Amino acid sequence: MVRAISRGAHGSRVRLFSGKLMAKDAGKQNPPSLDEFSKRLNAMRGEPEPDAPKPSGAAWGRAMRVSSDLLAGIFVGTLLGFLLDRWLETTPWFLLAGIGLGFAAGLRNIARSMNNDSGSSSDI
Amino acid sequence: MIDIRAAGPMEQFEILPIIPLDIAGIDISFTNSSLWMLIATGAIVLFFFLATRRAALIPGRVQSAVEVLYEFVSDLVRDTIGSDGRKFFPYVFTLFIFILAANLFGLIPSLPYTPAAMHTFTPTSHLIVTLALAMVTISIVVIYGFWKNGLKFFKLFAPSGLPIYMYVLIVPIEIISFLSRPISLAVRLFANMFAGHIILKLFAGFVVSLLSAGGAVMVFGIAPFLGAIAVTALEFLVAALQAYVFAVLTCIYLSDAAHASDH
Repeated sequence: MVRAISRGAHGSRVRLFSGKLMAKDAGKQNPPSLDEFSKRLNAMRGEPEPDAPKPSGAAWGRAMRVSSDLLAGIFVGTLLGFLLDRWLETTPWFLLAGIGLGFAAGLRNIARSMNNDSGSSSDI
Repeated sequence: MIDIRAAGPMEQFEILPIIPLDIAGIDISFTNSSLWMLIATGAIVLFFFLATRRAALIPGRVQSAVEVLYEFVSDLVRDTIGSDGRKFFPYVFTLFIFILAANLFGLIPSLPYTPAAMHTFTPTSHLIVTLALAMVTISIVVIYGFWKNGLKFFKLFAPSGLPIYMYVLIVPIEIISFLSRPISLAVRLFANMFAGHIILKLFAGFVVSLLSAGGAVMVFGIAPFLGAIAVTALEFLVAALQAYVFAVLTCIYLSDAAHASDH
């Protein structure tokens, strides 16, 4: 794309230097303004800038975030259940509830971090 | 043939005392971990001192780098926490720069023929270090949350506008979710650095064993060597990325604490 622009500029310069055509050309087209230029440049680039795909590094970071969020939720839920069971001597029940709630909390973490991606604070 | 021996992949994580110290039965030796944290901190201080010593209106090369770092974190804090976030900037910036420096210093290859205690060490590849950093963050979140919102901080665990029976389920889930934050923060950084360094060491170990096998087999050493180069490049990315993720999540948690009573 850049090559296309430079070729255009080069072409017009050649035309400018070729004597006769110079006056005609200069009268016809005013020097394009910067706004016009950036408009043409954006049109040539096709897709506007914000829709460009994110670098894969960000995707890797997000993947690590999601997996550790889920694991941490399950871990903490299970640990809490286990400790409550040991304290209250109700052996399997709090552990079982803790695993389930921990899994839910892990999913909650993921949902929150996905919502948070734009940088706003947590909703719901 | 070539007489070289590769160290095991776990040897790089060994804590070795440099100056043994023992106070009231508690081992507080100055270790290789402490040394590399000190090196990271010293390098940061030196870098920022040199960059800002002759601060000019039109920044030089080093000053621009520092200004980019500053603005990067400053924008992050402002965009995530909002107007309340200004006072957290020093903390988030310190955290980000320290983790970044500690991660990056760990990627420097060790000098050959130096004692093992002087070998390059990554403090952030130890869970206790990352957990301590995460605990500082969560402590600030809790203290600031109570200071800012009073008892309304508990609204973080009980979002309003739900049917009453849902709270039986939601409150434990939210409490577990909150308690899992420091674990998630700490484990993520630790696991990334730990796994990355093991992979790096394994690839390097393959190179060494293939080279020491001698003969035509030595040619195959090129494959893990290229792999080690690729992993090193990836590790630089991960080092920067994990420092960034830690800073982002710190900001998000602080923002939750600042706006706990809003919803």
